[in-house]
Amino acid sequence: MSTLRFFLRVLLSFSVLIVLATATWAHGAEIRIADSKGDWGYPNPWKHYPRGPGYVRMSWVFETLVWKDENGIVPALARSWYYDRDRRAFVFEMVAGAKWHDGKPVTPEDVAFTVEYFKKHPYGWVVLDYVERAEPTGPNQVTFFLKRPYAPFMEDVGGTMPILPKHIWEKVPDPKAYGEPAAFVGCGPFVFKDFDVAKGTYLYVAFPEYYLGRPKVERLIYVRALDPLAALLSGQAHLANIEPEMRPLLESRGMTVIADRAGWVKKLMINHRMFPLNDRRFREALAYAISQEEIIEKAHRGRGRAASYGLLSVDHDDYNPNTPRYPHDPSRSRQILESMGFELGKDGFYYKDGEALRLELLVSPITVAGQPAADRDGEVIRDQLESVGIRVDLRNMEQTTTDAKVRNWDFQLAISGHGGIMGDPKILNEMISEEYAAGSVNSARFQDNKELLKLLETQMLEMDPAKRRAMVYRIQEIFAEELPSICLYYPETLAAYDPKKGIRWFYTKGGISKGIPIAQNKLSLIR
Amino acid sequence: MGRKAKTLGNVVNFLVAFSLLVYLSYALPRLMPGDFVTAMFASSHVTLSAQQEAEAKAYFQREEGFGLYLLRIVRFDWGWSYALFQPVLSLILQALPWTLVLAGGAHVLASVCGFVMGVEAAWRRGSRVDRALVGAMTMLEGVQEMAVGVALVAIFALHLHWFPTGGAETPYAEVSLEARLVDMAHHLVLPMATLVISYLPGNFLLARNSMVMVLGKEFILTARAKGLPEKRVRYAHAARNALLPVLTRFGLRLAFMVTGVVVVETMFSYPGLGTLLFNAIRSRDLPLVQGVVLFSSAVVLVVNVALEFVYTRVDPRTRHAP
Repeated sequence: MSTLRFFLRVLLSFSVLIVLATATWAHGAEIRIADSKGDWGYPNPWKHYPRGPGYVRMSWVFETLVWKDENGIVPALARSWYYDRDRRAFVFEMVAGAKWHDGKPVTPEDVAFTVEYFKKHPYGWVVLDYVERAEPTGPNQVTFFLKRPYAPFMEDVGGTMPILPKHIWEKVPDPKAYGEPAAFVGCGPFVFKDFDVAKGTYLYVAFPEYYLGRPKVERLIYVRALDPLAALLSGQAHLANIEPEMRPLLESRGMTVIADRAGWVKKLMINHRMFPLNDRRFREALAYAISQEEIIEKAHRGRGRAASYGLLSVDHDDYNPNTPRYPHDPSRSRQILESMGFELGKDGFYYKDGEALRLELLVSPITVAGQPAADRDGEVIRDQLESVGIRVDLRNMEQTTTDAKVRNWDFQLAISGHGGIMGDPKILNEMISEEYAAGSVNSARFQDNKELLKLLETQMLEMDPAKRRAMVYRIQEIFAEELPSICLYYPETLAAYDPKKGIRWFYTKGGISKGIPIAQNKLSLIR
Repeated sequence: MGRKAKTLGNVVNFLVAFSLLVYLSYALPRLMPGDFVTAMFASSHVTLSAQQEAEAKAYFQREEGFGLYLLRIVRFDWGWSYALFQPVLSLILQALPWTLVLAGGAHVLASVCGFVMGVEAAWRRGSRVDRALVGAMTMLEGVQEMAVGVALVAIFALHLHWFPTGGAETPYAEVSLEARLVDMAHHLVLPMATLVISYLPGNFLLARNSMVMVLGKEFILTARAKGLPEKRVRYAHAARNALLPVLTRFGLRLAFMVTGVVVVETMFSYPGLGTLLFNAIRSRDLPLVQGVVLFSSAVVLVVNVALEFVYTRVDPRTRHAP
């Protein structure tokens, strides 16, 4: 009896302590964001992982000249800017009073230094090949002189390049090896305090002297949570990316659910360097055989939208509504195959010179906005292709293995996906041309159409938006005609947050920086 | 064979096995398809040109050869993680305490409880308690730890709100040390319960079977005939002799605790060596993969050596085994 009493006492004390502890933590001055992976590297340009969540973690600490909100580009460290066509230069008027986290003022010299430093120690997110130099041209003015006109400048450099404190980095010869606390001194709204590698957690605290005003919360914390639904419902997190199926339950529990525009596309990668995939007609037959709507219906219970075959998002300002389409038409697909000399065998599959038409399709759980997502796309596509007579061997692999095979052209078909299709049309160059993205597994690396390559080159130099748009329209048409990869659909990208915390989260138009489809825009915690 | 010769033989065996493990830790991760630069950059927002890709590979993927690797290992220089820019050994040491607490704690708890329950059930063989325990444990033995974890989270975290759904503690809670310890214990309950529920049935059934065999031996009859108290017969005579297979199982399970708890660590977002290895493999962080593989291999080896020692203490007859 006394033992039982002892255990009851222990249990009671334990419960009281838990209640007390929970009560202590339940203050409203912090925001917790859930992330399934947790570990995205340290938040500075050389130490964060090169995917979107890594950049976002850095964006709380470091500032750019301009930023984006839900409507497009807005001022950040630069309060105004213009392009000087005669001097081929972008001129930025900087805000006064911005400070680094160590109290020193942010100056145009820091911006000029950042350009020089990134030229010496390249940062993958920012391409400075077109920038000749940047120099201070006034007490609060900095001018970027370009070697050639560069149309994506505002997004690619202005809205992506983190400005570095000169007084710290000028003494650092190897930024990759530099891990002192000063490596995380920025002028952003939050000061980086800790990254726990083992737990996958991050802690940032508000920077009271932030030039746009003190942030709305004192502490910003990332927690690792495999299941965003559980994390949100249990109150362990206040914001998380969610699966579409979670929406009704979360809304019924008072959570606010927000949806992004079509900023992420699932694609069928094609090895167009090997027979029969190197024949445009065959790729066209594939497009007619695949039903985008059926994939969305069967693999995603209707949650998604059919993609444009021209790569750029249908929600993009420069989307070409006349991009060629391939409505599901199995008989047309068969006609094309037969016109290429394939003969239908008794088993219902095509043969050529006695050899079966057989393709291997690689599938893997692809990471979307930092969350690995498994689906049944591969099975649906296999069934669709087999129904027209193309035998398909489906191979499920881990993502890095699939990536390596695609990277080395050791594949026939593979399912892949990427964001950035709502950002600057430069994404077309990166996802089409080998010159821009030889190392990318999402890029078609297609060099066979000279007109396409020429247009890709010239659209980068065209500073007149109307003229550039005409080129971008034509690029989409050619891409959809050539089909070096087939765009399938845009999955629903959703996030849920607890409105009781008083923060309104939103998806950024065009995605954060170069098109990151994550609803963690720092302006949510400032304005 | 003399005792010294036997000890020397054991040391030589240990060194040969360790060398083999060091080689495997070097060679196996290199058989994985893909590389760090492809894993990190290939489908990121950073689109590398051919030149940038070559430079990144040259920077991150410097091949040193097995000789240098071996030299570094014995000097306790296990290299730096490509992805985290930190010494591998320090990353392992950061994750190790969590694995020890969760996996080690669950093993000890499941082994002790399983053994005691097995001994008691065997002693009451054929009774209602025995039949109920055997039935329940046989059924539980077939349930995957993932299913156990999901059920526990659904009931105790999401429905009753008694425990958190994941994590090792409330991150960055500004509380006293005592409250932090309580918070850690609070977070530990569900993942540890998942592991204990998964490990317990095997331990119970093994201990019970072992005990049933021992109870049929003549020395037990002798002990009873001598009029020894029941508890003494049960534990000092019978249970001690039934302990060996349970101990072997404990040792083997403990040896694989690094990789054996990946599912539970992932499910509960609990830190540990399993998660560290899982992420390192995903990003093809070769130095970290080989470090964790080597460490876990060394644990297997050390546990086996320790078991040899413990066997001789528990059952002196094993000292004379050839």
